[in-house]
Amino acid sequence: MPIDRRSLQILANHCGAAADAMAFTLMRTAHSTFVKETEDFSCTLLTAEGQAFASPRRFGAPWYSGIDYGPMIALIADYEDGDICICNDPYSGNVATHTPDLHIWKPVFREGQLVCFVAGHIHNTDIGGAVPASLSRTLTEIEQEGIRVPPLKLFSRGRMNDDVLRILRLNVRAPEQNWGDLKAQIASVNVGERKIQEIIGRFGLQTFRDGIAAMLDYAEAQARAAIRQIPNGEYFFADFADEDGEGGVPCRVALTLRVADDSVELDYTGSDPQVAASLNMPLGGRERHPLVHVGLTYVLFTLDPTMLLNAGTLRAARAVLPEGSVVNCTAPAAVGMRSLTCMLTQIVTFGAFSLAMPGRLPATSPGGNSIMNVRTAGADGRPVMASIGPVGGGGGGTPFADGPNGAGGAQAFLKNTPIEISEAEVPVLFNRYGLWPDSAGPGQQRGGLSAVMEFQVFAPGTVVTARNRNRSVFASWGVLGGRAGATSRFLRNPGTPQELSQGNTDIMRCGPGDVVRVVGAGAGGYGDPFTRDPALVAEDVRCGFVSQAAAEADYGVVLRDGAVHRPATTALRGARPTPANQDHFDIGRARRDFEKTWSPARYALLTAFLSAQPVDWRHYLKHRFFAAVAAGEAAELGLEGQMRRIGARLSNSAELTRR
Amino acid sequence: MGWRVGVDVGGSFTDFAALDETSGRLVTLKVFSRPDAPGAEIEAGLAQLAQRHGVEATAVDYFTHGTTVGINTVIQRNGVRLALLTTAGFEDVLEMARLKIPEIHNLYSTRPAPLVPRDRVFGIQGRLRADGSEHLPVDRASVEAALAGARAAGAEAIVVALMHAWRSDLHEKQVEAILAELAPGVPVFRSGAIWPIIREYERSITACISGYVQPRVAHYLDRFAATLSGLGVPAAPRITKSNGGVMGIAQAKAECVQMVLSGTASGVIGAGFIARECGFPRLLTLDIGGTSADLAVLQQGEAEYGTGEIIGDFQIFIPSVSVTSIGQGGGSIAWVDALGVLKVGPRSAGSTPGPACYGKGGQEPTVTDAAAVCGLIGHSALGYDAVRLDLDAARAAVGGIAGKLGCSIEEAAASILDLSVSAMYADASGLISRFGLDARDFQMLAFGGAGPMLACFLARELNLAGVVVPPTPGVLSALGGLVADLKSDFIRTIYAPLAEASLPLLQDSLVAMRHEAIAWLVDDQKFDGAPRLSLSAELRYQGQSFEVDTSLQEDWIVQGDLAALRAAFDAQHQKLYGHADDGAPVQVVTLRLAIAGATPKPALPRLAAATTAAGPAAEVDTYLDGAWQKVPLYQRQTLLAGHAFASPAIIAQPDCTTCIPGGFTLAVDDHGNLLITPAAR
Repeated sequence: MPIDRRSLQILANHCGAAADAMAFTLMRTAHSTFVKETEDFSCTLLTAEGQAFASPRRFGAPWYSGIDYGPMIALIADYEDGDICICNDPYSGNVATHTPDLHIWKPVFREGQLVCFVAGHIHNTDIGGAVPASLSRTLTEIEQEGIRVPPLKLFSRGRMNDDVLRILRLNVRAPEQNWGDLKAQIASVNVGERKIQEIIGRFGLQTFRDGIAAMLDYAEAQARAAIRQIPNGEYFFADFADEDGEGGVPCRVALTLRVADDSVELDYTGSDPQVAASLNMPLGGRERHPLVHVGLTYVLFTLDPTMLLNAGTLRAARAVLPEGSVVNCTAPAAVGMRSLTCMLTQIVTFGAFSLAMPGRLPATSPGGNSIMNVRTAGADGRPVMASIGPVGGGGGGTPFADGPNGAGGAQAFLKNTPIEISEAEVPVLFNRYGLWPDSAGPGQQRGGLSAVMEFQVFAPGTVVTARNRNRSVFASWGVLGGRAGATSRFLRNPGTPQELSQGNTDIMRCGPGDVVRVVGAGAGGYGDPFTRDPALVAEDVRCGFVSQAAAEADYGVVLRDGAVHRPATTALRGARPTPANQDHFDIGRARRDFEKTWSPARYALLTAFLSAQPVDWRHYLKHRFFAAVAAGEAAELGLEGQMRRIGARLSNSAELTRR
Repeated sequence: MGWRVGVDVGGSFTDFAALDETSGRLVTLKVFSRPDAPGAEIEAGLAQLAQRHGVEATAVDYFTHGTTVGINTVIQRNGVRLALLTTAGFEDVLEMARLKIPEIHNLYSTRPAPLVPRDRVFGIQGRLRADGSEHLPVDRASVEAALAGARAAGAEAIVVALMHAWRSDLHEKQVEAILAELAPGVPVFRSGAIWPIIREYERSITACISGYVQPRVAHYLDRFAATLSGLGVPAAPRITKSNGGVMGIAQAKAECVQMVLSGTASGVIGAGFIARECGFPRLLTLDIGGTSADLAVLQQGEAEYGTGEIIGDFQIFIPSVSVTSIGQGGGSIAWVDALGVLKVGPRSAGSTPGPACYGKGGQEPTVTDAAAVCGLIGHSALGYDAVRLDLDAARAAVGGIAGKLGCSIEEAAASILDLSVSAMYADASGLISRFGLDARDFQMLAFGGAGPMLACFLARELNLAGVVVPPTPGVLSALGGLVADLKSDFIRTIYAPLAEASLPLLQDSLVAMRHEAIAWLVDDQKFDGAPRLSLSAELRYQGQSFEVDTSLQEDWIVQGDLAALRAAFDAQHQKLYGHADDGAPVQVVTLRLAIAGATPKPALPRLAAATTAAGPAAEVDTYLDGAWQKVPLYQRQTLLAGHAFASPAIIAQPDCTTCIPGGFTLAVDDHGNLLITPAAR
């Protein structure tokens, strides 16, 4: 049966089922919580060239549907039936993008020919290195981030290479867990191979090959059809991580989106140089690297939820990734926390597309979902370390609905940990786990509220970490009159004279009796909140999502005994002066203040200067630049003059030092 | 000795199965459902049972009923207006659920609206710790305030779900007592009483669903009981449970959570009975109705059990017969996307307006229309003369698709069937992978209106051992209720290490559950036979986030043989996941005791042996495997035990049509089952 428009979906169903079978096998047999609860894994069917043509339909991490294993596949000289290859090095083909992601891939042979590959990865809880779980913002070199396995054959013609395993096991903190997960991965690719053989048996080899090509072409055509709805033009948006490292300055990701008929270009020129922290994305400059197109994938799927997602989806896109930048770092930069930056690339993508089609896309979810960990001790002194779940924000307001609370938008895939389980496992007592009132960006459709988690600890030397934390300074933006969400907080003993705020820091040291509160950032709102149906505002107040004060201040709705007071509301709404901010975005006060100094124009000058410097100097020079501007050096020369003068001084000193 | 009767009320038909306790004879029949006059179908059915089979209403001493009223109440969101009382600080438990959003790539995706909106959730001051000790006592004023709030919000019933009620029901009982004192008429449901599992969201939503459906279910069951007694039936009706057992009506009304999946479980239990009686060791059951297909796994006649079965927008966390629902049915609509690619579903024409060929106003092409175009159905009236197929309407509907695809109408119809089967294949294959089964060992038992029509095509894709079509595929659910045992589950959440120190807790829990279980079976259900007890535990290696259900022997706990318990868990883990970690510490999460009292089982009727070869009633034109061909059409009632022939063939009977493409052989067994086997095997 040739693959045509009548039968394309039939083949796609079979390929989707094969990927599902791989995922079920993985989930059923893997050891670690990462697989079972957070589903941080992928299972992929790849063309002989390494292009993803099918993924599980409902499971796994949502970032890898368009993955291209080609550069890593090419690093193995020749493939034979029964081989299984392995690699977790971010700088070998840029498929693994941080060391805990252990990828394996297996060739599928038929009639003596290599037909395709089956592949996948698991985020291992620990892969060795400087810190437990291998990830910390403070790390600066890839060598600190655990053992790296270069691309090699774990199985050669069906025989396992035990040496690889012995080295791996010696270098990780919980080898049984890694080995258990790896066995699950091997079982998964073996199931995938068997399923592919069944599909070839049913459809025939040539039909299968043609069908793969047709599925990629179909996904491409769907993506292009979606892009054709977007007005041609150039759209610029940038956003910031609060800090580029411990005690650092903001980290900028900038995007110029160019839409031309049925294709898009995502130009990241203007993004910060790679940083001396683990926030860098190791993408090898590959213009269709899936990690830089996660936001695009979300946008296209939102425009057409019937879309088949595979590498064909990304054919309509190319990214420009300046070398040595935070979105395209060079070795040996640390990359462990690249997910924080990846979320920023998604957010700037949403911003740029929102400019292009305001009525079709939501305001943003905040990114920077804190993954909470506690290290403490029980009454008997035994140490306890446990993850107690994510605390983040909701989804952005959409053109027709409020964003979901507590999770949503681009951070929709994590599950939480039940409080009863955490309390049974960890000697802490929770005061609260729920939604944080008034955290949502107000809007005609408001953003989702953020989550709050508050607990008391009882042992000296307790350490609480909030990995991936962000948005404590810069808020998640609203659109079209919708307002920015509240920022995140990380407090010790809130509401007491001893209250301590951790700013953007992701670690808190505590003693007996201390109370820790972490509040996620709220999502942005959509549309003018003064046009929100007053009945919905009253409902939000009844539900405790919005305070009565905020109902008046943010929504212009006056309530009396819980009911909307019509005349007072009409009067209050009518009395509002025309909003000063007619911008597309409400970026929040902190960013408005920051950009008074660090305007797009100033950033353009900084970027031009830094890109002429050696990669390993840029982060340092950026910090010197920030210090000089903060000190008011050469401020009298005006923006361009000042930047030129500081630049000249810094490059002179850099030249001198290098000599 | 009298008659035992099981009845299943569906959307279109009501099925009866009746067992003569003296002779073991089984009779079945089908009447129209009467949504306009509920109870009328029971009256009609009992009248026909009397008239045709001599089953007098007054001789019916045992009556079971499987119903979808519980699940429909949740799906249609028309249950009672509830208030929820939580521990203060955790009022957003339903709003947040387990956080994850259904469609992870879609920026518009959102969680369904909670069953109890946040403005009817109230916090109670008071706190238990994870070990059950009291951190803060219950504050009466906060209960009073919550009650006032619930009343002001118009709540008609109250669910109390407090932190750590899995460990201690002290606080929930105190709150319940205060509510009883202040608001004696208001129904109160406690999470710890309904199903005391650890994990606050799962326990709370289970309790809420139970409370939510209660009045509607109770009203329905009262009316049902009144109908029966009005007809002179002396037996008090029993209701099939989600766990595949039955219980009395008083319990069904009080513990609605137990019967939410009554309807779906019945079919699987009926299939399990057939499997045991007729000797089908491994079955995948396929029940295709108008909008969905339900799949379940039966091994040695035993269903797989799961917790977390899907009820509308939610999951329910009590032991239930595990059924996987697929969004493909006879009413699934075919369409062509903007790029010209053929799709089927997820939209469905359902039973109204239904497929175009039913002539009830449906215009869009459905899977059933495609089957009609291909000549697979429509050779006799369907559904006991309820529907005569309008082939022209089917061709017109499918013709629109053919035009867009640029192919003939029959080619388009065949593609629609292939595509629908491939979508079912994808989900069925997932089920097989999830349970780690080998498809080649399984036969497919097909029932429901469209199950036998598509089963062979699906079995071919899945590479199954064959297909079984029972004599009256429509009546399996009614039969399921009839043969279900009295059965109940009891649970204690232990959440303690598997160690000597935990033994007293395990032993005390076992004694208490045993006591409750026997009291239920003997005192409540008036069972006078020998009870069957089965003990199991949910265990895990310390640090795992999921549990493994492991069967235990009571002696291990009574005599403190923890090594045996440990070995059983390691073995079960090895069996399910391919590895075990015999050095790692083990944690006991729950201890569960199931009690069952066996009910009399019918002897399945035997079919007369064939003396001559099977004779087709006609030859019909069908479009199968890419070409029109003449295919023999058999009437099911003419097929006798021992008949055998090669496919292709179409077998028509009043409640369904079985389609067998080329490449299979068919044999009729002693019980009248059609055994369809791939010829190559």
